[in-house]
Amino acid sequence: MKQVLVLILGLFLLAIVPLVFPSPFFVHLMIMVLMWTVLGAAWNILGGFGGQVSFGHATFLGVGAYTTMILYLKLGIAPWFGIVAGGLVAVVISLPIGFICFRLRGPYFSLSTLAVAEIVRLVALNWESLTNGPVGLLITTLPAITFWGKPINWESKLPFYYIIAIIAVGALAATYIVARTRIGAYLLALREDIESAESIGINTVRARVIALGLSAFLAGAAGGFYALYLRYVDPDAVFSIGLSVEMVFIAVVGGLATVGGPLIGAVFLVTLGETFREHFLTGHLIFYGFFMMLAIRYMPDGFWGRFLFLVGKLRPGKGMNHGAS
Amino acid sequence: METLVQSIVSGILTGSLYAMIGIGLTVIFGVMRIINMAHGDMVMLGMYGAFWSFTLWKIDPFLSIILWVPVSFLGGMLAYRFLLKKIVPAGELNTLLYTAGLSLFVANLALFAWTGDYRTIKLDYAVMPLRPFGIAVPISLAIAFGMAIGITIALYWFMMKTDTGRAIRATSQEPMAAALMGVNASQMEMVTFGLGTALACGAGVLLVPSLYLYPTVGEILVAKCFVIVVLGGLGSVPGAIAGGLLLGLVESLGAVYVSVAYKDTIGFIIFLLVLLFRPSGLFGVGKS
Repeated sequence: MKQVLVLILGLFLLAIVPLVFPSPFFVHLMIMVLMWTVLGAAWNILGGFGGQVSFGHATFLGVGAYTTMILYLKLGIAPWFGIVAGGLVAVVISLPIGFICFRLRGPYFSLSTLAVAEIVRLVALNWESLTNGPVGLLITTLPAITFWGKPINWESKLPFYYIIAIIAVGALAATYIVARTRIGAYLLALREDIESAESIGINTVRARVIALGLSAFLAGAAGGFYALYLRYVDPDAVFSIGLSVEMVFIAVVGGLATVGGPLIGAVFLVTLGETFREHFLTGHLIFYGFFMMLAIRYMPDGFWGRFLFLVGKLRPGKGMNHGAS
Repeated sequence: METLVQSIVSGILTGSLYAMIGIGLTVIFGVMRIINMAHGDMVMLGMYGAFWSFTLWKIDPFLSIILWVPVSFLGGMLAYRFLLKKIVPAGELNTLLYTAGLSLFVANLALFAWTGDYRTIKLDYAVMPLRPFGIAVPISLAIAFGMAIGITIALYWFMMKTDTGRAIRATSQEPMAAALMGVNASQMEMVTFGLGTALACGAGVLLVPSLYLYPTVGEILVAKCFVIVVLGGLGSVPGAIAGGLLLGLVESLGAVYVSVAYKDTIGFIIFLLVLLFRPSGLFGVGKS
């Protein structure tokens, strides 16, 4: 009952925040925080729960962004359908990637995802007939549509805010479902010891493929939103190693294998980074690196994981339940 | 025929520098099992070191290596002692994530301090390439090649003939047995990390006259590093030399005979194939 109340309060806050604080910078910040929440949550499903540390998730973001762009520019399909399509295409792309990279374990998996992501980036850079190469793709106008009889004003940031808010709530709900169902338990088991997990009959290939697919879908949808919001994509903007690394950091600093972790990590790191960028223009990722090192050294559970641990300590009898909060 | 010789020559020239960077990464992995994601940023720091000593103090980059190698050796030892030592026992994945954090931190600090502008050094004596037998050899790359070979031979001698070198190799092969024979493992680890960093920085110094430098150049270099050491077998010094030369050749031959646009892709595809089918490297000497 209490949880339901907290949930309703959270959703209510999410809905009214941009109306209470309408300054464009603040709404932009909120949009970026929510987009990175989705990306962090996407990475966390595979990397946090499953322990498969991918350094190539920018691939799915980029594929989602390009799918949305190309569908809109070449076929005239509205970008919000494109967001879903972007997620689905990312899932399709994730299958061969999983087929190759899941043969490797631990750091070798990480290195292989890095290599695959670079290959995809180079293909996007050179397949000019589809992607327009290094020049990139640009949306000049978004389609005029109405919502409850009122035309949507694409010049304001509010519609984008609500679109990404819905995706973010979906991503967190998906993580919650993963954490609470069998698949989450399978992933935690294979993260801890893949041989033992297999020996007690867990189909680890299936669990990893499902986690990767879900992860790719969410990252692809966030990529579709990225294209819609910034209206411009080029290979170095959406396929760079830097983006993959940022996703990892948000999830790790927030809290691996927790539902709230990516949200906390994104609120913290994106706010710091964007505020820094407002003042100094370059080098806004300094804090990402710094807090990543601090987190690995002193808080391997991340901020949220640490918080849950301390709360659990305060209430004896309700021990820390890994993965379910 | 001439194009073939030309691309083999330029492949070997670049390959020698790749090899130098790769050796640094591979000795660090061999002794401490650290997959150092910040290795490319050490190359970047070396490049900036040479750049600034050239612009501010007019020191020739090839001369400034005498300054930057000891500095980076000390810096590497300190970085290991105060930043990495405590992380290493937490396992390879944690050190991978930690060094990725270090890499982002260093690269963005450089971006903040020196902006993202592309910079380059013009050396008066290296404007025209040498033309032995009608093959163009850029002077700056030729000097870098010579020095890289000299450094590699010196390092090889050090690893094979000196007590410290033997101790490092022993720690790399069997840390427990080495410790029982009286090798101070934590000292060897510090020296090794310093060596690896010095090699990366030194290669950066040598690369400056031939490559554009910008703060995030390490991102691409580190990816290439991994290709090199995995090709040769992780942890193996001769493997890294062979891997570096091989990648240099593959890139320059690929650019001529396959496509310029996809020359980097070839390296990554070979990398994936080796990881999948020969995880101990092409020569079967690495640790899988």
